Amino acid sequence: MASALVAASPPAPPPKDDDVPAEVSLIDLLYDKCAQAPEGTVFFQRELSNMQVANTMTELTSLLQELCDRHLMKLMTFDNEPCWKLRSKTEAEKMRRLTPDERLLYHHIDQVQSEGIWSKALRARTNVTQQVLTKCLKSLESKDLVKSVMSVKFPNRKMYLLKHLRPSEDIAGGPWQSDGEFDSGLIAIISGLVAQHVEQETCIRVPGNWNNYVPEDRTAAIAQKKAQVQAVPDIEDVLPTKSFRPPKSGNTSRLVHRHKPKYPTAASISTWITDKQVLRDKEVREDDMEQLLEMMVLDGRLEKISGNNYRTTLTTTDEPVFNGFVDAPCGTCPVFDLCGDEGDICARTCVYFDEWLGSEE
Amino acid sequence: MSYLQRETPVLAELCTFLVEDLYGELAARVFSILARDGRQTLAAIVRASYLNGRQIKHGLAVLIQQHLLFHSASDSQLNYYEIDWQQSYALVRYGKMLRLVENRFGKKAANVVSNLVTLGHTRLVDLKDAYFPHPDPADREESKGGQTNGTRPDKRNASAERVNGTATQTDVAVNGSATKTNGTANNIPSELHGANGAKANGAPDGGDAVEGVESQDEQGSIIQSMDELYAIIYHLMQQGWIMKVEGTQYLSPGDLHEMARKAVVDEGYGGNNPTGNKDKDQLAALILQRKRYIRDEWSTVPKFPTRKRQALESDYGRATKRLKVSSANEWSSSRDDVAILDAGYANGQNAHSDLVIRVNPEKVAVGMRTEQLADLVEQRLGATTAQIYRVMLYSLEKNVSRCFEEWPDRINPDPDAGIDASIDHRLLVTARDVAKQIDRSIDLFEGLDPHAVMQVIRKGHVDKHNCLTLATDPYNISLDDRTKIIDKHIQLLSDDPFHFVTWHSRDGYSQWRVEFEEITKAIIQQQIENTIAGRKGALGVKLIRALKKKGKLDERQTCNTMMMSAQELRGFVNDMTVQGLIQTQEVPRVERREAKHSMHLIWYDRQRAREKLLHDAYKSMIRILQRIASERGKVQELLAKAARTDVVGNEEKWLSRRELAGLRQWKELHETLLLQLFREDDLVASLRDFIGPLISP
Repeated sequence: MASALVAASPPAPPPKDDDVPAEVSLIDLLYDKCAQAPEGTVFFQRELSNMQVANTMTELTSLLQELCDRHLMKLMTFDNEPCWKLRSKTEAEKMRRLTPDERLLYHHIDQVQSEGIWSKALRARTNVTQQVLTKCLKSLESKDLVKSVMSVKFPNRKMYLLKHLRPSEDIAGGPWQSDGEFDSGLIAIISGLVAQHVEQETCIRVPGNWNNYVPEDRTAAIAQKKAQVQAVPDIEDVLPTKSFRPPKSGNTSRLVHRHKPKYPTAASISTWITDKQVLRDKEVREDDMEQLLEMMVLDGRLEKISGNNYRTTLTTTDEPVFNGFVDAPCGTCPVFDLCGDEGDICARTCVYFDEWLGSEE
Repeated sequence: MSYLQRETPVLAELCTFLVEDLYGELAARVFSILARDGRQTLAAIVRASYLNGRQIKHGLAVLIQQHLLFHSASDSQLNYYEIDWQQSYALVRYGKMLRLVENRFGKKAANVVSNLVTLGHTRLVDLKDAYFPHPDPADREESKGGQTNGTRPDKRNASAERVNGTATQTDVAVNGSATKTNGTANNIPSELHGANGAKANGAPDGGDAVEGVESQDEQGSIIQSMDELYAIIYHLMQQGWIMKVEGTQYLSPGDLHEMARKAVVDEGYGGNNPTGNKDKDQLAALILQRKRYIRDEWSTVPKFPTRKRQALESDYGRATKRLKVSSANEWSSSRDDVAILDAGYANGQNAHSDLVIRVNPEKVAVGMRTEQLADLVEQRLGATTAQIYRVMLYSLEKNVSRCFEEWPDRINPDPDAGIDASIDHRLLVTARDVAKQIDRSIDLFEGLDPHAVMQVIRKGHVDKHNCLTLATDPYNISLDDRTKIIDKHIQLLSDDPFHFVTWHSRDGYSQWRVEFEEITKAIIQQQIENTIAGRKGALGVKLIRALKKKGKLDERQTCNTMMMSAQELRGFVNDMTVQGLIQTQEVPRVERREAKHSMHLIWYDRQRAREKLLHDAYKSMIRILQRIASERGKVQELLAKAARTDVVGNEEKWLSRRELAGLRQWKELHETLLLQLFREDDLVASLRDFIGPLISP
């Protein structure tokens, strides 16, 4: 990475004014050089020395010390080796204005990164009083350095993390949630897509005339012929009756369960949705998909069969089927519990019955 | 009927209405006293009412005849009366009962059952007299030969019968070859056949033709001979729809238990009550066993000779419009009985003329379950699959005497019970059985994936619009192919989350069994969900399902499961709690039990929801009956006029146009309300009669 940095560095440093102290310009030079690296790069000592800003190691150390004091750099350790990370100038400016307490808290919040830290845990780690803690956190928030997020796992815990970070899934919930709330629009769209997909996999649309067989009714034909010839029909030749069958036509098609389908699972559907790339910068893991599918089962859109396979719920009628109780006026009566044998509310004077029987007067 | 006996005043009110409707005010007055004050003596009833002893005795007699009352054993000095709630409620089912019987065994059987229902219970000989009012001994001698039927006083009818007999015979023969598409035409001569015949014969040119029409007509519902009557009754008894009346049926559940206990203690323990837990448990098991024994005794079929002719039998064997029951195996068992008893026909008849019979209410529940299951399949998988399922259930019905065992062997559960039940071949069905029995005029391909059909017929292929390239006749396919097609339908049934059938073994063609218990539990759940869907919409149903799946949940978990925000949910949770469909619980987390620090859980108890819904359904039924009464009150005068003897049959002549319109309107209204009442009864059946209490969720 160091070589890449060197290669990326501009061929000549910009000319500096002579009246500016040399050290200061060196600091800026180092900062600028580091800033050219992609954001969030972690610099180790040898990379910094490779930048050839400082002549000696002591000079480099003092430069870095100065940068850290100005909050332009953050000292970290990696495998017991010191390393540094750059901060933006505005951020550094904000940092410079912090009180020591605030800085301490900021440091701790910074450490946990996207996981966030609970205010109580923060207090335990820093040993500040509750008043100070509250005050400092407030001022940090007002300075746009940290933000608080409600944890999904513990809804009454406020988690603090740096302003620019996105909260991790642990505290912000899976792909279906945003800001700790379920994103109903997103859920509706994705579940619609999933339902369509599952329907394709497990059902088959059959047109009404799929078996275009016209039964030639021999008996009826004979009887008719006979009637024509004889003029007086014979009672033994009554037209055979057929059991009732709903009429079928070519226009109406019907969904039926597929023969030997490959039932989709949470895993297969989550792979499918990932391949489709419908969800931007959100990852749907198998668990998340299972949550969604289970919810759809509760919704009655899918049904679960044996283990973790899902299929579409089919009904032969589009109209919902209730039962005798709900279809009667009493089933949905708002005053059912108040209704008595006699009195103001009773069957005799019931307006809902009137409405239902269509005998309103 | 212990569980079902635990009832509410709502049911008492409902039953009183039903009794009043059917048996008049006196019976209803007596009934309501018993409903209000419970088990009591005659003297107590007299004291509690303004009626005198004579009137009350009349009322009691009606109620007892209809099996609406229990009365205690005769060994005690005082006779206690108590309401049989189950039977009282069943009054609303009489119409349905007839329809069930008719669908299975034809019109004539329905006619017999209808008479039995009207009479409550009856002696065989009385029933016979009701059908054939003036039995003439000489004629009976003659009828022994089975040639003619002299018991009919009307000679013309007798000859019609003879004509009819031969006509049917030829009909069978003709039908077999000619009407391929309509295999059942011959079994449903009732309305369709008769009506058609009458129409076709609009201008009859000879007496013969008239008789022919009549016989066609009558063949549907009128029983021609005593033989036939006995054959029907015998068949219905074998199938379990009719049972004997015995004294023990009049014992209330408590008395019956006491009797069984006494008998067991006397026999097994020398009259001393056992001490010690183990013995007590054993005693309890023995008592249940005894009760089962007593009950099963009721439905044993006495050996009485009925059959004279094989041809007649098959008439009843194949019963319905929709279905042909294979008569072969059914009758093979009884055939030797017939052969032996044929000789002693007269003796046998005399010996059994005192037999008292009634309809078996438990079987009615079984029949209703079959219909409801088939309806559910129709909603989910389509008409053809439903028809196949119906055939499967019909063939099981004979061996299923009740929906659930009320007195199960809990203490000493048979270790082999699981295997035993599965070994019981009478409770297994194969696709081949169905293929043999199913109505040929059903399009078996309906509701299947064309690819599945293709796999069986192996002609042509399926094009990209999912159409068969080669149209195939769905009616004339070989038995093997039909079996395979039916197997595909059965596969659909078993794949369904309701698991309508369960695979049992590969024996023969796959054998299937039906796990009624699990299915009926699912049906209860579905009825609850349907109710909520009607009241609260899809969201309420979702909530119930979530709670059923996850158990007790707090608000956050509920939101997570249903993937929605708490605000949307709260209203629903509150409403449904108020309606008693879900329960709440508060579990404190700190010692001071502050609401803020407590967990607030909600949960769903299927049994509670079931009871609540049942209660509501009863109440709703009362309202319908009340409404009918009030509507009737509005048109009272008109009805009174229409009921006058000179007006009946001549409505057009004596009633004004407005009155006729009013009458028609009233009839429509009445029918709408009654239909709704019966539909609510379906709900009650599915909630109450198909399975006992659901103790663990």
